[in-house]
Amino acid sequence: MEAGHLYWGIDCGSTQIKVVACDHDGRILHRRIGRTLFPLMEHVRKVLSGGGSGPSPLTDDQRGIKANHTVVATGYGRKHIDFAQGRLTEISAHFLGAQESLQLKGPYTIVDIGGQDSKVIEVQDGRIGQFVINRKCAAGTGAFIEELAHRLEVRLEDLTDLARAHDKKMTLNSYCTVFSGQEVIKILMQGERLENLIQALYASVVQRVLEMTNITTETVVFSGGVMNYNPVLIDLFQHALPDNKTYLVENAQYCGAYGAAIFARGVVEKQAGNFSKSEIRAQLVT
Amino acid sequence: MDMKKVMKDYFLDLDQAAKDPDRKVAWCTSVGPAEILRAMGFEVFFPENHGAMLGATRISVDTIPKANAFGYSPDICSYLTSDVGAYLKGITPLTKAYGIESVPRPDILVYNTNQCKDVMHWFEYFANEFDAPIFGIHPPTHLPQVEDSHVADVVAQFEDLIRVLEALQGRALRQEDLKRTCALSKQATDLWAQVLETAMARPSPLSFFDGTIFMGPIVVLRGTEVARDYYRVLLTDLKLRAAARVAAVPGESKRIYWDGMPIWGRLRSLSDLFKSNQACVVASTYCNSWIFSDFDPQDPLPGMARAYLKIFINRNDRYKEDYIRKLVDDYAIDGVIFHEAKTCPNNSNSQYNLPARLRKSGIPAVIINGDLCDLRCFSDEQSATIIEAFVETL
Repeated sequence: MEAGHLYWGIDCGSTQIKVVACDHDGRILHRRIGRTLFPLMEHVRKVLSGGGSGPSPLTDDQRGIKANHTVVATGYGRKHIDFAQGRLTEISAHFLGAQESLQLKGPYTIVDIGGQDSKVIEVQDGRIGQFVINRKCAAGTGAFIEELAHRLEVRLEDLTDLARAHDKKMTLNSYCTVFSGQEVIKILMQGERLENLIQALYASVVQRVLEMTNITTETVVFSGGVMNYNPVLIDLFQHALPDNKTYLVENAQYCGAYGAAIFARGVVEKQAGNFSKSEIRAQLVT
Repeated sequence: MDMKKVMKDYFLDLDQAAKDPDRKVAWCTSVGPAEILRAMGFEVFFPENHGAMLGATRISVDTIPKANAFGYSPDICSYLTSDVGAYLKGITPLTKAYGIESVPRPDILVYNTNQCKDVMHWFEYFANEFDAPIFGIHPPTHLPQVEDSHVADVVAQFEDLIRVLEALQGRALRQEDLKRTCALSKQATDLWAQVLETAMARPSPLSFFDGTIFMGPIVVLRGTEVARDYYRVLLTDLKLRAAARVAAVPGESKRIYWDGMPIWGRLRSLSDLFKSNQACVVASTYCNSWIFSDFDPQDPLPGMARAYLKIFINRNDRYKEDYIRKLVDDYAIDGVIFHEAKTCPNNSNSQYNLPARLRKSGIPAVIINGDLCDLRCFSDEQSATIIEAFVETL
């Protein structure tokens, strides 16, 4: 490794492409974000290069990676990023990102709510013990919140304030986004306040996540864009988990991308070049 | 022996039998009493095998909705809906594979609810369609252990079945014929067990995905010389491969157990996914379900009763947990993947807390959601992420 080496993580998610670059010490030097649009690679390159306004790991022809830069991809689109020098799943990426950000010593549980999935990752002895991902259903994910906000004609950025202005606790029963939408319309027709409905919408997301598995650790770490931009979710999780210590990863939306960058750093500092699966595993357990 | 030829000969002969007024065809569930049917001179067709073919060829993508619209729920067995839908559409994968126009017309349908009750609904539909007699074996289910009283119950039902078959064929069952089919099934299943055990070698010479193909004869040709002879050859080949350290998954570094049904329409892509992660699925509940150690040619009906009562799916939770734990030890398994099949709760042990119980004792386990035939219930991306992440963390 040469001085000034930059480690890039790309988290190519279902709704957003997140990019983080860090140095040898794990300091984040660049953060970039853009919508997941198609053709995918065109947009990945655009986000990665900062639209031409900052340093980029891409070679001039946009096809390769410059010396002194390493790029690792994660997220659902990771396999499509052909120039990436390594790939890992978002489960491992969020773990590495949270671990590096918070440097927690004891066992903890990461709750990550993403655009199309939710994950609960239990960390024991500095490595992933077990994890669960939501079933093939949008309930309990960012897509659920977006869909219902759209139906209610409420801007996403207004949702948290509206939910916090509720004056009555309500429950949405359905697992299903479509059924929940019908339930919402029915309740609105009955004259219920919008604020109470939105609080119920968030409460259902929390409920869906907590139904996935028992949280057995005292410490709970929140990660992912949905947690970042919907802080009322943290209120609700804290209410549901009154005996747990909770943390929100700084810049939580970038946690996966940061984890990918940290992974790149770890592997490069062990051995330059392509990574093998055994090296990936070795990295993940250290 | 060539697997393709074995299966082709089997289906072509079935087709001939269905067209020959002097021969009779019985439909039978996959863990039904094939030995009795063959001893009574019936050619035997297994609709579940046809369901698996519909799934593997992804024809079921078109046929399941047809059955749904006809009135069979998307939540019930997708073998049933695949097969009924194929019948309604007048199509079968046998046409492309073997030039066979349709499934063989049954002279009788025989099911066993040792695996689930959906087979009863399925066979009842076709019994009505073909105006054919139907006979159901209804054994005691979900047993902690198999008692003599359970065996006596099933033997009595077998005896009732034999009377029905004798009336259809116009002749009595010859005991030596039944002893012979049971002996052949016993030989074939013992060889099949040894075939699967070659995966104890490290690296394993076969994977679960190979097993789902190799298992064809033990499903559809029990009670015949063909099945026995096929597994003799296969076992020799696999032993040679194991000795030469020929790996099913080159660079095998993790060994996985698969619980639940195969995802027939994704065998290739899942096999490739595990290969690219240097993980080999070396053992499975599914492939092991055709090991019937209790066949006894000297005491055929009680032996058959015990064999078909003892199957994994017909046992209680404690038995299933102990069974998987033993295989985890025997095959040096690193982690267990549970396939939770949307339309097959009887084969989805993840729904009943089993992964959590295994994890408690330090056996890593993870669940993927999917289905045996209904690809509407399966997400390629999500499943790939779960499987890759699981292997990364082992």
